[in-house]
Amino acid sequence: MANIQPTMTDDDVMEFIANGYVVLEGIVDEDYNSACADFPAGRADGLAQDPEFIRQVLLHPQAAGVIRSLLGENFRVPTGAHHHLFSEPFVGQTWHSDGLSGSGCEITEVQCYYYPRDVALEDGPTFILPGSHCRAVDREAIAHYNDIAGQVALTVQAGTIVATRYGIWHRAGPKLSHNPRSMIKYSYFRQAPPRRDWLIYSEQAPVYKEDAKLPYMGGVESYRERVRRRRTWHWLCNLDDAASRHLEDPRPYYELGSRPVDEVDA
Amino acid sequence: MKTPVQQWIEASRIKLQSSTFTIADFDQLEELTTNRRQAILYLSSQSTNMRSPIAAWVLYDPTQPHAPQLPTQDPPYDSVLEAIADGWRIVQFPIAKLYEYREVENDYIGYEFILEKWI
Repeated sequence: MANIQPTMTDDDVMEFIANGYVVLEGIVDEDYNSACADFPAGRADGLAQDPEFIRQVLLHPQAAGVIRSLLGENFRVPTGAHHHLFSEPFVGQTWHSDGLSGSGCEITEVQCYYYPRDVALEDGPTFILPGSHCRAVDREAIAHYNDIAGQVALTVQAGTIVATRYGIWHRAGPKLSHNPRSMIKYSYFRQAPPRRDWLIYSEQAPVYKEDAKLPYMGGVESYRERVRRRRTWHWLCNLDDAASRHLEDPRPYYELGSRPVDEVDA
Repeated sequence: MKTPVQQWIEASRIKLQSSTFTIADFDQLEELTTNRRQAILYLSSQSTNMRSPIAAWVLYDPTQPHAPQLPTQDPPYDSVLEAIADGWRIVQFPIAKLYEYREVENDYIGYEFILEKWI
């Protein structure tokens, strides 16, 4: 049985909750990237179950450390995968989230994108929209969207793994080059109940840190996101008490401070 | 964004200065003015206020080929009002009642203005 240690801190987990992704740049061995890059396009279940792929990619200590941090002990390792391979120039995909995702504050699945080749901007990189992982929306109704403020192009070096919150909006970007653009996608799942057992330096769970409003969000959207992030943080830390729920109020903390009037000296 | 007619005027000024303007240029102008096309610009604003920042944008220009183009991080205009100042006309305003105000669920990006320009 693999000995997998968590690698994320409180701050790292909070950042993942807010943005919905973490990039592990160039972590997979160069020779093994070359072998995976030549795998045929389409279903890659055989690859996902190959012991070498499991060792080099799925249970790579840095990748598995992120998964262990976010999904807890004895998480489920993927037995299926899909190789998204684009060779010729094309206009790119439209924005979408996979499946019927978006609802719920729990983190029960982490979807990974593994890039066995370098990806430049002209190669049609995956674009992701940070913070979009909780937006359940009909993909056909947003098929006319194109550029969105704050979108991120995953221009990465070979061997990069990007761990994402299932449901994050993404698309294959416009491809201008003839360089193959290769991405192998697979998901891990939670089994253990949530517990703050990633890298911690104090027993007391810190209060969720405020993060900046994302560039595409208006005021109410931003308040809603703030509530959802705090709910996710409390769920991950297994905090279900009145004090934690009080902190899920979208207002700034200073606005929530109060005390009984009979305690006031006047 | 310069319309084909604006581009024609710019080119014609240079041709007049170099005495290379011909009757064929008038034919081209006639072609441009009789076969105009509707370009559509979607601007998702951060609110229904036309001075709000732009959250998302896309231009559909039927005179251009459907070819891959690199994405950009910069919207074509800073606000809907700025697009109007550049000659775009609004054909659909966001309808506030369609934006359901419920608990903490977010869905679409911004408040969508649809604009047109005949080019």
